[in-house]
Amino acid sequence: MRVVHYLNQFFGGVGGEESADLTLEARNGAVGPGKLLEQLLGGEAQVVMSLVCGDNYAVENQQAMLAAALEKIAEAKADLFVAGPCFQAGRYGMAAGALCCAVQSKIGIPVITGMARENPGADLYREPLFIIDSGDNPAKMRDVLTRMASLAKKLVGKEAVGYPKEEGYIPRGLIRDQFVEQTAAERLVQMVLAKVKGEPFESEMTAPVFAPVPMPTGVKDLGKAKLMLITDGGLVPKGNPDKIQGSAATRWGSYSIQDCAELRGENYEISHGGYDPQFVRQDPNRLVPLDVMREFEREGAIGELCNVFFSTSGLANPLSNTRRMGREMAEKAKQLGIDAIILTST
Amino acid sequence: MQLTLASHPIKELRFGANTRLEGTILVIAEDELHDVALQVPGIESVDFAIVRPGESCRAGPIFDVVEPRAKAPGGSPDWPGILSAPRTAGRGTTHVLTGAAVTLVREQSPGESRGALGYVLEMSGAAAAGSHYATLNHLIVIPHTQPGLPAHAQQKSYRSAELRVAVFLARTALDAIPERTQEFDLSVDESRSALPRVAYVGQIFSRQRKPEPDEQILYGADTDGMLPTLLHPNEWLDGALLPSYHVSLGGAETYFYQNHPVISELYRRHEARELNFAGTVATVASADNFDRERNTRFAASLVKWALKANACVLTKFGGGVPHTDLSETARILECDGIKTAVQVTDLARDRRVESALLFNYPEVNAIVCIGGNSTKWRVPPVARVIAANSGVAEMLAGPFEIESLNVVGVANQQGASRLRSMVY
Repeated sequence: MRVVHYLNQFFGGVGGEESADLTLEARNGAVGPGKLLEQLLGGEAQVVMSLVCGDNYAVENQQAMLAAALEKIAEAKADLFVAGPCFQAGRYGMAAGALCCAVQSKIGIPVITGMARENPGADLYREPLFIIDSGDNPAKMRDVLTRMASLAKKLVGKEAVGYPKEEGYIPRGLIRDQFVEQTAAERLVQMVLAKVKGEPFESEMTAPVFAPVPMPTGVKDLGKAKLMLITDGGLVPKGNPDKIQGSAATRWGSYSIQDCAELRGENYEISHGGYDPQFVRQDPNRLVPLDVMREFEREGAIGELCNVFFSTSGLANPLSNTRRMGREMAEKAKQLGIDAIILTST
Repeated sequence: MQLTLASHPIKELRFGANTRLEGTILVIAEDELHDVALQVPGIESVDFAIVRPGESCRAGPIFDVVEPRAKAPGGSPDWPGILSAPRTAGRGTTHVLTGAAVTLVREQSPGESRGALGYVLEMSGAAAAGSHYATLNHLIVIPHTQPGLPAHAQQKSYRSAELRVAVFLARTALDAIPERTQEFDLSVDESRSALPRVAYVGQIFSRQRKPEPDEQILYGADTDGMLPTLLHPNEWLDGALLPSYHVSLGGAETYFYQNHPVISELYRRHEARELNFAGTVATVASADNFDRERNTRFAASLVKWALKANACVLTKFGGGVPHTDLSETARILECDGIKTAVQVTDLARDRRVESALLFNYPEVNAIVCIGGNSTKWRVPPVARVIAANSGVAEMLAGPFEIESLNVVGVANQQGASRLRSMVY
């Protein structure tokens, strides 16, 4: 097994903060902790190349560093790429994470790294990578490298990878299914009994934490504002021209309401499997309130209503879809000069 | 209230001249079953098939699975509110043909958000291994209803037919000696006063859909306008409840009301003196926030003041929105000092934890998560496809890929599922 190992200037033995501007250097064979890594990987594993780079250089010139490193790793005909462990070192972690991602996607060989959970690189790269939880104490180098080597061997051998607790990696925030011995009911009652007795219990899912969305500034003069209607209730023109899926939709559509005083049921259908659509079918204005908006327009309460509305289906839609579609919609709304949007849901 | 379940294990179903129980063999006379099923308005003709565990067989789309049970005289009636007067369920002796099931297939692909397949019964292979139903001996009921019958009337015929057939079969056990009897009784004495009082709040419908005009869910009522209501656990087990016709609200079958996994587990631990089973509340998931606030507070008040519980487990019914009613009820209970654990289903189509839940209350931190979205099987052609007509049979012929959510029993929402979401 041919291994390429990435180290920062400190672990690469070049120097401390004063050497942080060091450009990427390739050395033959193992350097610093790479020797122990080689030993722990065992068998025929050989660190054929060590890449050493200064922390500042790696972060400030990330694209150049990545390009140079990818070239070297490809030349080395590596079977495995290892970066770090980086412990609490933030710039080191950022560089190691970016490199591992690039190697994984561009060269397609297994990659492994190690970081403390608090390392900013862990936050950014935990989902696409296996990052061994190194803690913040470099004195635990042997222990951390042991776990990195063990998981790396599994990845190279294409063996099944266990759960974070068993393998020691930072949870990636992903889900897979498993059949277990106990029924859901047995697990449920066991969990509540543990909770009521004050004993430890392990929830099978953790609630997401989201960054707060700042409140936008209010519309200064609604009488001059251009408004738009967007819905996730799945209202689409008859025939569903954009083939918006009724569940976990990946697409959204923009539909003209130019010169329409109101929406008429015979022109629309619902692509959304999560609510009873009969009332919206009867009168689509119940979902996309064009009739009322036209009244406001006539009265001068609003400046103007945009001549299209956007629509998608919100049913069972994962955030990775909705986040992207939201950005696309916002971008388009900006192009259309929209001042305010009314979002309607079901 | 005391309920006795008298179990008669069934090892084999066999067609024969007279319907009777011969030890562990249930002999079924088809002509007698015809007479039973044809009494149901709307049913023009009916076929039957027997299916064994492990057999190379597939049936679908499944309308429902029922365990054959019959009430002994003197207790509650059979299926009160549906086949009998709406008297309280859960009293007296019920004879149970354990290991057997009456399973009815629909005549059409149900569509809705479960896809064309609806629910499929797999009796062999990897998909079957995930469902308790693959371990049962099924009598498959294949109805043929009058052409032009509206969907709700058709489904009412299905329901009535499956229940009548199931009761008819189980009546063969009324005079037989059961292999074992099990008592279900909640009495609590002084010696148990230190044990935690644990309640169950179960959703039985979701107002994401209107109930069909004559849909029979709770003692024959359709739940429209229903407020959360106290039920004795025995009522769930003994015929008070049926699942909705709506396929998109699936993951519940009559079989697992009769063998309710949460109620059974609470009873088991009650017997083991690990807890006092305080009782249950049946509730619905709401259609809007006003309804939700009323229902969740109502359910929580019943748990606190009527059941005097200090812990509660909650399950949902239907799709995504019911998660909000579930978690809001749990949050209110937690704020009142009542510890909770909730069971949710898999919503994360992108397999990311951030998409898994529709709530993030810090108090609601004990969560059982049924998996499903990353489990599917490539199922082969089988020796026998059981379906109501050639169109449906063709759809089920195989090979095809089937998601776990479409295999009846795998992602069950009543607590029977062994499929778990694992975070990694």
